[in-house]
Parts: sequence; C-alpha cells; structure tokens
Amino acid sequence: MSQQKSFIQQKITAMSSLLIKGPLAFRAGFFILLFLVTLAILEPCVNNYLLKGHSSTEFGLFPKLLPPSFEHPLGTDHFGRDIFSLQLTGLKYSLIIGLLAGGIATLVAVVIATTSGYLGGKVDSVLNAITNSVLVIPTLPILLAIAAYVRMNLLMLSFTLAAFSWPWPTRVIRAQILSLKERPYVDLAKVSGLNSFEIMFFEILPNLMPFIGVGFAYAIIGAMIAETGLRLIGLGPGDIPSLGLLLFWYMGFGAIAQGYYQMVLAPAALLILIFISLNLINVGLEEIFNPRLKKITGL
Amino acid sequence: MITKRMIRYVGIKILIYLITIFVAFSVLFFFLRLIPGDPVSRFIRQIEQRYSIQLAQVTREIIAEYKRKFGLEGDLLTQYISYLRRVFLEFDLGPSFLNFPNPVQDLIAWRLPWSIGLLGMATLISWIIGIISGTLIGWKRGSKIDSVMFVISLCMSQIPFYLLALFLVMFLAYVFSIFPPRWAFSPTVTPGLNLAFISSVIYHATLPSLSLILISSFGWLISTRSITITILGEDYLLFAQAKGLRKIRILNRYILRNALLPQTTGLAMSLGFIVNGFYLVEWIFSYPGMGTLLVQAINALDYNTVQGIILISIFTVLTANLIIDLVYPLIDPRIRSE
Repeated sequence: MSQQKSFIQQKITAMSSLLIKGPLAFRAGFFILLFLVTLAILEPCVNNYLLKGHSSTEFGLFPKLLPPSFEHPLGTDHFGRDIFSLQLTGLKYSLIIGLLAGGIATLVAVVIATTSGYLGGKVDSVLNAITNSVLVIPTLPILLAIAAYVRMNLLMLSFTLAAFSWPWPTRVIRAQILSLKERPYVDLAKVSGLNSFEIMFFEILPNLMPFIGVGFAYAIIGAMIAETGLRLIGLGPGDIPSLGLLLFWYMGFGAIAQGYYQMVLAPAALLILIFISLNLINVGLEEIFNPRLKKITGL
Repeated sequence: MITKRMIRYVGIKILIYLITIFVAFSVLFFFLRLIPGDPVSRFIRQIEQRYSIQLAQVTREIIAEYKRKFGLEGDLLTQYISYLRRVFLEFDLGPSFLNFPNPVQDLIAWRLPWSIGLLGMATLISWIIGIISGTLIGWKRGSKIDSVMFVISLCMSQIPFYLLALFLVMFLAYVFSIFPPRWAFSPTVTPGLNLAFISSVIYHATLPSLSLILISSFGWLISTRSITITILGEDYLLFAQAKGLRKIRILNRYILRNALLPQTTGLAMSLGFIVNGFYLVEWIFSYPGMGTLLVQAINALDYNTVQGIILISIFTVLTANLIIDLVYPLIDPRIRSE
C-alpha cells in the first residue's frame, strides 16, 4: 500500500513541478481553465455588484442595444440585458453542465471499464462490443431528438449528455487496465491470495487515477460539444442560459447580420477557450503519466 | 482459400451489424412513440393555424384516415410491426409533416446529394492535406516546427465544426463580404449543368466546407504524424537510408505508402459519418442538406422525418463500418491471422 501512496505522491509532485516549469502548452491550458473557473465561481458576486441584485436574464434592466462602454463592457442586447453579465452566467452553467455530465459519464466509464477489463473473457467482449457500437452510432441526431421531445432540467440534461459521452473515457480506461493487469505487482497480489475485487480496488484503481483524469477531460469536452450543439438550435431547458443558448438567442435575433458581432463573438470565444484549455491539459496529463508518449509528442 | 475461420468472422460481423441496426431501430421507434402528445392532432392544429381555419368539424373518419396514413392505428405492437414492414419491405419511411403528403424518403432524396457533395469533397480535401502535412511533420519530428504544429493541431482538432462556422460566417460573409452567408447557390442562376450554376455552387460551398477542412485536416495530421514516426523507427527505413535513396523517394515510397493503408480505413469510416457530423454547420449556413432538414423537422415536431433521418444516418455509418470490417482483412494480412 505504502508503495502506491508514494506513487501517487510522486505524481502529484510531478504535477506541481509541471505547473511551475512544465511545458508551456500545459501551463497555458491549466491557467486558462483556472481563470475561467474562477470567473464562473465569482459570477454571483460580480453580477450582484454589476446588476444591483437583479438577475442577468431579467428583461429591461438597461436601455436596449447600447454599444460597449465602461459600464457595459459588451453593451446591452435587444431585451436590455447586460451582455457581459450574461456571458458570466452562461459560462457558469456551461461549466456546471460539462462537469456534471462529464463526471457521471466518467463514473459509468470506470465501472464498465473495470468490470470489462479485469474480468476479461465473454464479459469483456460483450461490454466492448456495446461500447464500440455506441461509439459508432451517430449520437448527435438522437440527442437532438430527445432534447426536442422531452422537457428537461439541468440534472436530466446532464444525465442525457452523459448517456452519450461515456464510451470515450471507457476506451481510455479499459486500455490502461489491460496493460496494468499484466504488471508484476498484480501477479504478486494474486499469489498472495487477494481476490479479483481486491486487486481491482487496491492494486489497479490507484494507478488508474491519471487515466481517469484524462477520460474525465475527454468526457467533459464531448458533453460540452453536444450540449452547445443542441442549445445552438434552441433545444434543452430554456431557463438555463448556457453559452450555447446565448448563441441561439443572438443568432435568432440576427446579431451577425445587424453588426452586433460581440453578442456572438463573446460566447463563441469563451467556448473555444474552454475546449482548447481542456485539450492542452489533456496533452500534459498524458505526457506526465505516460512517459513513452514523450517520444511521440516530442514536447 | 475460404476457411471455416473466415466464414465465422464474416458471420459474426454481419450478425453484430444486423443486431445493432435492429436494436437501434426498435429503441428509436419506441422512444419516439412514448413521447406524450398525439402527432395527428398536433398536425391538424398546425393546419388550423397555418390557414387560420377552424377544423372543429374534423370528423372521426378524417382523423382515422390520417392515423392510418401515419401508421398510428392500433396498439403499440401493431404499429411497430406495421412500421417494421413498411420500412424494411416497402422502403417507405412514411409521410412527412413538413411537406405533406410527400413521403420522408423523397425529402431525404432531395437533400442527400447536397450533403454528400459538400461533405464528400470537404472530407477528401482535408484528408489529402492532413496526410501530406502529417507525413512532412512526422519526418521533421523533434524540430521546433513539429512541436508547435503538433500542439496547434491538438487544439484545433477538438474545436466543434459549428463554432468555427460561426466565426467564418461572421468574418468572411458579413464583416468582409467575400462569401455568401447562406444557401447552396445564387437565386439568379438556373439549376442545371451550366458553368454559372456550378461555379455558384462551389462559391456557396466554400465557407461550410472550410469549417470542416480547417478542423479535420489537423485531425488527419495528428494520426498521420504518429504513423510516420512509427515507420521511421523501422529497420527497412534505416536500410533505405543506408542505401542512399533520395529523400523524396523514401518519403513517397516508404513512408506515404505505408501510412496510406490505415488512413484509407479512416477515410472510409469518416465518409460513413458524412450524413452525420455536420448537422449544425449546414443549419448555420441554411445549406439545403440533411442537417438543415433535421433541424427543421425537429422544430416542426415532424417525427416521421426525424426518425427517417436518424435511421438513414445509423444505416450508412454501420454499413460503412461493416464494409471496412469485411474488406480490411483482404488488404491487411495481419488482421486476417487474428
């Protein structure tokens, strides 16, 4: 046990040293995401201060269609809402949904991958076949259809998104289990009489953590791409303004054609920042925990 | 020579294919039927609104007639069996609401060529760009260019197509009006095999395909690069270099050739996904393809059309996969032995 702990500690030390002097790409990704998450966490305070206790989605707080100014960094929209505060609210909801859906998907992935990867044999082939079929089936139109016909709240939306994004983390984690279970220390555990459940939990799972992290990041990306896609055409809960829904509102208003570029530019840029930062972190994570990759990425 | 193992392999692949199609079909059917609300009364309400007339006198016969047309009579099981028969034996996906009484397959047949043309070309172009640049970048592995390009590619390849499409529309269609923002050809040209029409189609397809090319080229670059790096470590490459072959010949005959096989499989796979991955981009450009049709059908709650489009997407993707599974062992003997 103590050996594993030191393994994790070692990796945490590696992580923190990477944050200080690691590759630029990884640090950039981490700090961009940290900045966005901080913005999202501070959203209630900032908006409370900017809007004097009103909600950012409330109509008619300010004059309509004001150009960007000091009080309204991005101007106001056609309903008299402050666009900057709406971005913060949108960012918060997008991140919450992404984290929730990604978390659920990763949990499902861990359960499926560990059962499948460790038990092996028939169970593995069946579970693997199911994972691969879900990966192959075009899920976006199905997701759109579900969102169109079923009324959803935040939690249900996250569960639905998770139902379509678990195969990616499952693949990442399963591949790793297949390699881990061939390691000598697993043989040692077998010889010393641990059952498969104990081996799975005490020997393999601790060493799996970084890859669960990578799978989690992939699941968040997948869920957020799908979420933004369905909000973009106006589906999903209308009272939860995520960045995708903001895009839908302003596209519907014809913001681009009328020259109010900031309305569309701001949410789109925030989304791209989220996707890029998650990706950079992923590259960094894989690199620390999978040194063989270093040769491939050359970073 | 046909061995027992080969027959078994083909049999299992086809069986999985059929089961997946059947399960997807059934799940989709029951899911859509379980949604509360009766599509026929919704449809009649829509007609009332559209023509601002009252159909209070709609008789029972008319409703029954519509229900028969939409395959909604009897209990769920009867409906299921009749839908199954209609789709698989008569290749009829039922009438659409969007364009009543035209059947869904006609709507799809009109839209499909646009999607296939746009996405087929875009996928092919990004594949070629990705393969060539990936080989070159892999060849220069470890250099400054390599690491910079690699990180850029990793970031770019994960951006969803529709976000890039938004940026392209904004900047290239509105800020600098270089390209048209919507539809597939200019309203002033007559569709047909004339130069004006064809050039108009290409002009209108530029922006939507650019949003795919700019992103998926990077995806191809990443995979080609890692294949190239693997090949660079092979003994035969060292031998070729020792023989003093020219660089261009090594690149072309030794690396590209070997990278092409797995990448062609990838191409086949993504061509299968053609009708699939692009719904929202088509919608952003109001391009008259399957994607726009799906969004319209979803907004109009036209579930025959929704069901039809999803079925066709699933069918194409799974079929492409099956073909790859069956053809690949013929090309690559390593798979055959497994």
